[in-house]
Amino acid sequence: MNEMELLRELAQQTPLPAPAELDAARARLLAAITTDPATYATALAEVTIGQPDPPAGQLRPPAPVLSAAKFMYGGAISSAALLIAALPFIGATHGKVLGHPLTPTLTITLGAVAGLALIGLWLWMARATSQGKNWARILSTVLFALATLELLSALEGIGKDGVVQALFAGLTWLSGLAAVWMLWRPASSAFFKSAKAARSRPPSQIPGP
Amino acid sequence: MDDARVIESSWREPQRFAVLFDRHAPHIHRYLARRVGRQVADDLVGETFLAAFARRDRYDLAYTDARPWLYGIATNLAGQHHRDEARQHRIRQATAAEPAVPGHAEQVAADVTAQAMRTLLGTALAALPAADRDVLLLIAWEQLTYQEVSRALAIPVGTVQSRLHRARTKVRQVLAGTDAGATYEELTTNE
Repeated sequence: MNEMELLRELAQQTPLPAPAELDAARARLLAAITTDPATYATALAEVTIGQPDPPAGQLRPPAPVLSAAKFMYGGAISSAALLIAALPFIGATHGKVLGHPLTPTLTITLGAVAGLALIGLWLWMARATSQGKNWARILSTVLFALATLELLSALEGIGKDGVVQALFAGLTWLSGLAAVWMLWRPASSAFFKSAKAARSRPPSQIPGP
Repeated sequence: MDDARVIESSWREPQRFAVLFDRHAPHIHRYLARRVGRQVADDLVGETFLAAFARRDRYDLAYTDARPWLYGIATNLAGQHHRDEARQHRIRQATAAEPAVPGHAEQVAADVTAQAMRTLLGTALAALPAADRDVLLLIAWEQLTYQEVSRALAIPVGTVQSRLHRARTKVRQVLAGTDAGATYEELTTNE
């Protein structure tokens, strides 16, 4: 008999607990389950049996999807700050469209429109992913990959005047990274799957009384 | 339904998590009772499942068996408890003998030997670094595999093997270096 067998033999002398010994622990777990936000959604579904299921967009998103949406709103704010910080410099750039030089006013206008479109994109993705739309999750990931490439190329040509812009650009990128990470957590995947199933469910499968 | 599917369903129906409790709580309780004593185990088993419930959305569904995950949480909680309490005292208490029941002479002799070995092992385990002890006990008591211990403690399999080897060597040394070592020698030569 070696020390491992000796340990096992002595350990076997500890019996499994009687069911009553676990009652307190089970009660604590059940209390936590009752106060969990997802339980409210389940309870709501139970009391609304016989009524049509809520549309997929009304499913309650799990915590990682809510966090992803918050990061996206953060990205929108960061993008707005980046736009404000960059506007004074945009007019000084000498942009060209099809070989024709742009006037400073037109350059600023185009820069502002692009910046506002970017902010709109953040807000749109935050809303669509919260509603369980899987295409928005995929598009968000693709946009993040493109943003990463764009950030790398932009950082190469940055000068001393662009430190503030680089800071906001970095913050924006980090928001995107955090959002994409949250969107691909297991709980998020389950949510997108459920939302897709709810959308594709024919009216005949809606539970009746 | 395997543990991974239970956890996945609990994301949308939290009450499903109680299935995991009913399935594994007795064994997690016994593991904790061995490590910290039954009274503290009553509290820690509850905390183990509360922590698991709170983190269920981060569970990797590729692992169908949730035991290593639960043992990992329980081990961390036991470690925190040991940092609060006097480690050696608790381990001795956890491995302490049940009151002897009067019986015939052979039974009494066996009880005395078992008591001596419990005390010896308690001393040997107390002398181990916490990280080595965790590995040794998960393998010896809970019979987890190297891979399962690796998951439970979030360490590479190679580290599991080296810690186990180190722990076993130290336990052997402690057992051999005590007065009761003769009992151990007698037992080990009967292999």
